Amino acid sequence: MIEVREVTKRYGDKTVVDRLSFTARPGQVTGFLGPNGAGKSTTMRMIVGLDAPTSGDVLVNGKVYATSTAPLQELGVLLEAKAVHPGRSAVAHLLAMARTHGIPRSRVDEVLHLAGLEQVAHKRVGAFSLGMGQRLGIAAALLGDPAVVMLDEPVNGLDPEGVLWVRNLLAGLAAEGRTVLLSSHLMSEVSLIADHLVIVGRGRLLADTTVADLVTAEGVRVVTAAPDDLRALIGGAGVTVTSTGALAGEELFVTGLSAREIGLAAATRGIPLFELTPQNASLEEAFMDLTRDAVEYEAAR
Amino acid sequence: MKITPGGVVAAEWTKFSSLRSTWITTGVSAFLLIAFGMIASASFSGPGMSAVDLALSGSTLAALAVGVLGVLLAAGEYTTGMIRATFAAVPRRLPVLWSKSLVAGAAAVVVMTAGAFAAFAGGAAVLNDGVSGVGLGDGGVLRALLGAGLYLGLVAVLGVALGMLVRSSAGAIAILAGGLLIVPGLAGLLPRSIADAITPYLPSNAGSAVMTLTPGEHMLAPWTGLAVFAGYVAITLAAAAYRLKRSDA
Ligand SMILES: Nc1ncnc2c1ncn2[C@@H]1O[C@H](COP(=O)(O)OP(=O)(O)OP(=O)(O)O)[C@@H](O)[C@H]1O
Ligand SMILES: [Mg+2]
Repeated sequence: MIEVREVTKRYGDKTVVDRLSFTARPGQVTGFLGPNGAGKSTTMRMIVGLDAPTSGDVLVNGKVYATSTAPLQELGVLLEAKAVHPGRSAVAHLLAMARTHGIPRSRVDEVLHLAGLEQVAHKRVGAFSLGMGQRLGIAAALLGDPAVVMLDEPVNGLDPEGVLWVRNLLAGLAAEGRTVLLSSHLMSEVSLIADHLVIVGRGRLLADTTVADLVTAEGVRVVTAAPDDLRALIGGAGVTVTSTGALAGEELFVTGLSAREIGLAAATRGIPLFELTPQNASLEEAFMDLTRDAVEYEAAR
Repeated sequence: MKITPGGVVAAEWTKFSSLRSTWITTGVSAFLLIAFGMIASASFSGPGMSAVDLALSGSTLAALAVGVLGVLLAAGEYTTGMIRATFAAVPRRLPVLWSKSLVAGAAAVVVMTAGAFAAFAGGAAVLNDGVSGVGLGDGGVLRALLGAGLYLGLVAVLGVALGMLVRSSAGAIAILAGGLLIVPGLAGLLPRSIADAITPYLPSNAGSAVMTLTPGEHMLAPWTGLAVFAGYVAITLAAAAYRLKRSDA
């Protein structure tokens, strides 16, 4: 469990995280979303104690991370910025981390195997591709068999097979009852694995929600032989009917009525419908709307 | 599974021994000590020169090299980003500073003590006729050789402390070289009375006292000198510890 409580971080007079609060719970994947510069990486650094909050506090499994006697068992982290010496081999890097906690060599081999890095375990990390570096970072995060796994843009640089691997890995970790927090600015990626969404913009919490709640019905696409008749029939308060101009004027976009209501109304007059399709705002659009508003709000102050 | 002081030391040793640069810098330090000692033993003579002083004349350059070893070990973590992994694993941070100092210091003491003895033996073999040879059993010889190892070990720790303090290899090496080599030269520009009063207490002068068989007029007693140098190292370590605790990684 990660509890972020009223956390503010300032660098000089720039407020990067602004009274942010959210909780990532065990057994689920929490997606941490926000546009570039929203403060996601900064928040994650504060969670592992690399940066100190200006005010507020962060608890990992109920305590401050630095006070743990076995931090790697509490939380494993993949940070956005490289956190490995390029002159060392993958094995030496993991071994150095493992020895701090008395983690056996066999566990190092285990995570190397898990990340598919056995072949390159003895190569210098400096020669690794972006994707191999990400895999090493994920292997390091899993080293202590942690209760909380926190990954900052883990699929960055991974090939499709790697993306699928991360997706299954995280789902598996959450199913085992672990807390998983992963950041991204790609809603489409996160919505595939996250149950819970924390969306930030300019360091502030914009939404603490679920994927299902964020997707709202937007309207209905209708293709009909008699667009004018249908418009006259269903038009009224709270309903908008616009011609999209496509399909020789036969396509309409209706908001304020469900597809069912439109279909029933058309049937009473015998208006033929060729298509009747509810259109959901894509998650990506919902996300953009949310974050755009935050920027406007910010600018208006 | 938990963090133990021994575990953090073992981790720092793993980091130390798994970098090629470590071995190169260590090898260069020992080479400088031995090679310069032998060259000086073969070439120089003059009043008041002892075989031990000649054998250890590479210690100034060796100190620089071994200090760089410490700097690279510490500042290298910041320049590569490794420090984030290090502190994610050991979030209390200070055990990392102590362990790094211990590993770098102990490795330098072992290698440089061996280097000092090798320089002494090599120097004796090629010693020129103008200088009379001495044996290990002669007064002060053993102290000078062991002292050289201890001094160079402390210099490695100073390098670690500087590296952790300024977090940049170039910056830390500049401060190290300035403190050990340039400051004594600058002191010579001061009025004579002031220079004579402070010169013995400058870091490299104080530290070298322990390995000098025939101390000059303005030089501290051997162990006093080493203690003063250890004081400089302790102050730098304290400053590094303070910054480590206070600022973001
Ligand atoms: N050490 C620092 N000093 C000064 N400013 C910083 C520092 N670290 C981050 N910032 C600033 O804080 C803001 C938030 O950065 P952060 O990296 O947390 O964003 P992010 O949400 O992770 O963005 P991205 O999606 O691009 O990774 C940025 O404007 C960045 O320039
Ligand atoms: Mg980021």
